[in-house]
Amino acid sequence: MSSSISPEQVRAEVEKFWRIMCGKSRERLDDLYTSNALVLTGKARKPEPAQAALVRRAQQISAPSAEAVAELGAIEILLPDQDVAIASYTYKFHQKRPDQAGAVLKRHTLFGRATQIFQQDSAGRLRIVHEHLSAATNPEVEKTAAS
Amino acid sequence: MLLVEMFCPGPARLEKDDMEAITAEQVRSQVRDFWDAFITRSKSRFQEFYSPTASCFAADGRRSEPARLMWVRREREFFGPKSSVAAKVGAVTVQLLGPNLGVACYPFHFSIIRVLPNGNRVQVEVPFSRATQVFQRGSDGKMVIIHEHLSSAEPTTPKELPPEPGG
Repeated sequence: MSSSISPEQVRAEVEKFWRIMCGKSRERLDDLYTSNALVLTGKARKPEPAQAALVRRAQQISAPSAEAVAELGAIEILLPDQDVAIASYTYKFHQKRPDQAGAVLKRHTLFGRATQIFQQDSAGRLRIVHEHLSAATNPEVEKTAAS
Repeated sequence: MLLVEMFCPGPARLEKDDMEAITAEQVRSQVRDFWDAFITRSKSRFQEFYSPTASCFAADGRRSEPARLMWVRREREFFGPKSSVAAKVGAVTVQLLGPNLGVACYPFHFSIIRVLPNGNRVQVEVPFSRATQVFQRGSDGKMVIIHEHLSSAEPTTPKELPPEPGG
């Protein structure tokens, strides 16, 4: 089946996701997902509704003095159906944010891996219906005492 | 950033379109059969669950690899006489994304003894493993994995095993 989705559209959505994650976009993370999206991420032991994970992410992104930088690897795109696209890629993610005690936490995910499955809605917009983010090795964490 | 485009061919669409849409139970059944083939280390059955071009993230892989490379590695690490594989699969959630496309995601407890490239054996317990497997039904009616992402929610520590007597 020929796809109505172009790889460029998928790449643009992936880049939009990371711009929001890095606090460099005013767009909302939850606009990128379908209402029934599932995610596997962080230390979650089983799939959870995207909305639950997005609340945590939004708090991290909007925390005072939070900073983040992402570097994406090659994005492999599968177009298995007319309205579905699968993006898989590696990434590095460097985050700086305050912890609950006010200390600064620097977290470096050096070997991140991402699977994001997009489905086109009736308006032609791509939305994430399934996401699996993980790391091949433990993130490196540095903690600096509160000043 | 590089972009690798992979378009899935869709031959014989008319035949495929005549089939009824896949069901969540069919996808769950594939997951059960997949693990049966893995645990019993049935090499040919195991390979049949994948499209040769499927992209796979192993739990500890730093990048994805095509299924045909993953087969070679898993065969060496898991399917030999000095290896063992056990898994307890948790609840399988299925998202049906089209008449021929389903995503299975689930937690599982993975217990393995694998053989390293240097011949040493290590035991690894991964109690909080997680899987995403995307299944696509082809024109022949068979469902195969076109993308797989395995990971662990917690860090794991491989335990090196002593050499086997006579080994």
